Amino acid sequence: MSDTNKYDAIVVGSGISGGWAAKELCEKGLKTLVLERGHPLRHIEDYKTALKNPWELPHNNRATNADKAAQPIQSTLYLYDQSTKKHFVNDNLHPYTQAQPFNWYRGYQVGGRSLMWARHVFRYSDLDFEANQREGVGIDWPIRYKDIAPWYDHVEKFIGASGENSGLAQLPSQNLQPPFEMNALEKHIRGRFAEKFAGERKLICSATAVLSREHNGRGPCQGRNQCARGCPYSAYFSSNGVTLPAAAATGNLTLRPDSIVHSLIYDEGADKVTGVRIVDAATMKTQEYFARVVFLCASTLNSTAILLNSRSLRFPDGLGNDSGELGHNLMDHHNGGGATASYSKLLDRYYRGRRATSMYIPRFRNVARKEEKFKRGYGYEVYTWRDSWTRGVGGAEFGADFKNGITRPGDWGLYTEGYGETLSNHENRMWISPEKQDRWGIPRINVSMTYGENEKAMAQQMMDDAVEMMEAAGLENVKGFNHAVTPGSVIHEMGTARMGRDPKTSVLNGFNQIHAAPNVFVTDGSCMVSSPTQNPSLTYMALTARAVNHAAEEMKAGSI
Amino acid sequence: MKRRAFLHGASVLLGSSALGTVLEAFAETPRKATWLSASELATLAALVDTILPATDSPAASAADTHYFIDLAIPACASPAAQQTFRKGLREFGAKNFAKLPPDKQIALLKARAQKDQAPEYDQSFFKILKDYTLSGYFLSEIGATKALAYEQVPGGYWGDLPLAPDQKAWAI
Repeated sequence: MSDTNKYDAIVVGSGISGGWAAKELCEKGLKTLVLERGHPLRHIEDYKTALKNPWELPHNNRATNADKAAQPIQSTLYLYDQSTKKHFVNDNLHPYTQAQPFNWYRGYQVGGRSLMWARHVFRYSDLDFEANQREGVGIDWPIRYKDIAPWYDHVEKFIGASGENSGLAQLPSQNLQPPFEMNALEKHIRGRFAEKFAGERKLICSATAVLSREHNGRGPCQGRNQCARGCPYSAYFSSNGVTLPAAAATGNLTLRPDSIVHSLIYDEGADKVTGVRIVDAATMKTQEYFARVVFLCASTLNSTAILLNSRSLRFPDGLGNDSGELGHNLMDHHNGGGATASYSKLLDRYYRGRRATSMYIPRFRNVARKEEKFKRGYGYEVYTWRDSWTRGVGGAEFGADFKNGITRPGDWGLYTEGYGETLSNHENRMWISPEKQDRWGIPRINVSMTYGENEKAMAQQMMDDAVEMMEAAGLENVKGFNHAVTPGSVIHEMGTARMGRDPKTSVLNGFNQIHAAPNVFVTDGSCMVSSPTQNPSLTYMALTARAVNHAAEEMKAGSI
Repeated sequence: MKRRAFLHGASVLLGSSALGTVLEAFAETPRKATWLSASELATLAALVDTILPATDSPAASAADTHYFIDLAIPACASPAAQQTFRKGLREFGAKNFAKLPPDKQIALLKARAQKDQAPEYDQSFFKILKDYTLSGYFLSEIGATKALAYEQVPGGYWGDLPLAPDQKAWAI
């Protein structure tokens, strides 16, 4: 083993969680190797489509049949087009088995999905951390809000986020730059809500990792709303633009792209993990790297797959799987319930620029009163606009008057969908098939997840509440919807290596350490015990920073 | 100057060229059809101009919308939609659509538009034609900047402004 194969810490993955692990470890003075399975992607220089006009992109940015054949799952995503397709995987090269339908959206490159995420950053509260225990669902979170609050502060101050604090206890206050302005319709809805819902239901500008002001030489947002292409102004948070450069600036970072982690190396004699085995994606050669601590941040399904593929005499069913829970309790949000509406007043008002975030209605169900039909709740994202030319695509009209009409701003439109909590369920799971390997010798991942009765009952109420609220706001043509959601589609897949106090029922402890392998930390979505309603990335970042701090303390004390 | 340091990032990209083969095809002069015959293309030019004629902004063919469709439909539309589209185009060609006076063109297309409302997209010549005509024109440089309003980098976001007299809608 050569010296270049030895580090203080190894981080698997360079997405939202891996980028944070890298920054924090490097800033603690630890020599850190980041292994990224995907290709290199330089900040700004490699965002080749970022400033392209629609007519400069093939087919005015429309995906081709060949694109859809190469990326049959990725191309179903709302973000997918000519300008973003390079940030998503080729599904044929990276197959997985859907034992039940599951949409797995992936970005295999430096920065991972931090390049294309939707950037909403809300905190969880004790309403969320206490829910499992209160209701006897799954297991209890081993932490409470007070444990993570300082780390939310730490993360928010560094990433820079804009938005509005709701003043509601279920959505704790955050460190936020001023919000992006509401348009005339949103101001109208906000006013009506204040009259009708007595402060219980509010419309606010989402807390978003998009800068409304300059922050540490980044931003502010230039109003393109084409974030998923990559931002030449560094106005939204990504690993590429923020955490990886900070890690590199310490001189302690080694970033190795094209490095697919096969498994962790477990030393039976020393009774500990000593490193990782990788396959070089380009050369197909295997290589071993060694370190005192390993952070798994490869994304929910991939981190757990690496653990399941790390078999030894001590851990015959996968590393850290003494409980038998590894791979189980897979969750995603569900967003099938909502409403559309229009508004034919306030037509003397318009906007300029494309706002890179939504409005938000924080959770109000199962907060002040207990609901009969379902547990937990949901928050809504709200999108509004004035109609443009796309309103002319349907219908039989054409000609000069038609053209004059659709080139002027039309009525206001509104789309809102709820983001509902999904209960932890042992039956929702992923596992690996060692007999089916990809071209790099990595076992196939299988996924089986379905939404349960609680989610179905909630989705119905999600629709009904959306209709009620938009009617209360005086909107027109209010139409509710409640469509079936394919799990994975919200891209908040989480669980499968949950935290907990008891090694018999959980994989990780309260600091994201594997109970029986405490120098291995898992800090991406796989650690989640429940799924709250809020977007989860901020919590992954905060848990990661907290876990690194703990790792550094234990390394100093010599206990790992 | 430091305050504007973030703008440097954009200048890196503005110097880059990452144009695909489609764009090279666009740059050729004079342009040639790649999928359609010359007479099909002439029929298509007349059809797109009947849908989006010259008004206070140029007609669809002035933005090469027919050339856009000639490239985009074989690349992006389903095989069934491609077939429906080509068949419909030939039917209009057989009626010498391109040579008809405007009122006859409008009447013929109106009849087809009505007839094609019920069928599903892949079986509806008019739905396919209109979809590609509108996205071809309004996302072209002429359509986005002359028929509509367009800013690639708006420079920020202003949520609530008075509507300017004769304000055009934003292209995206």
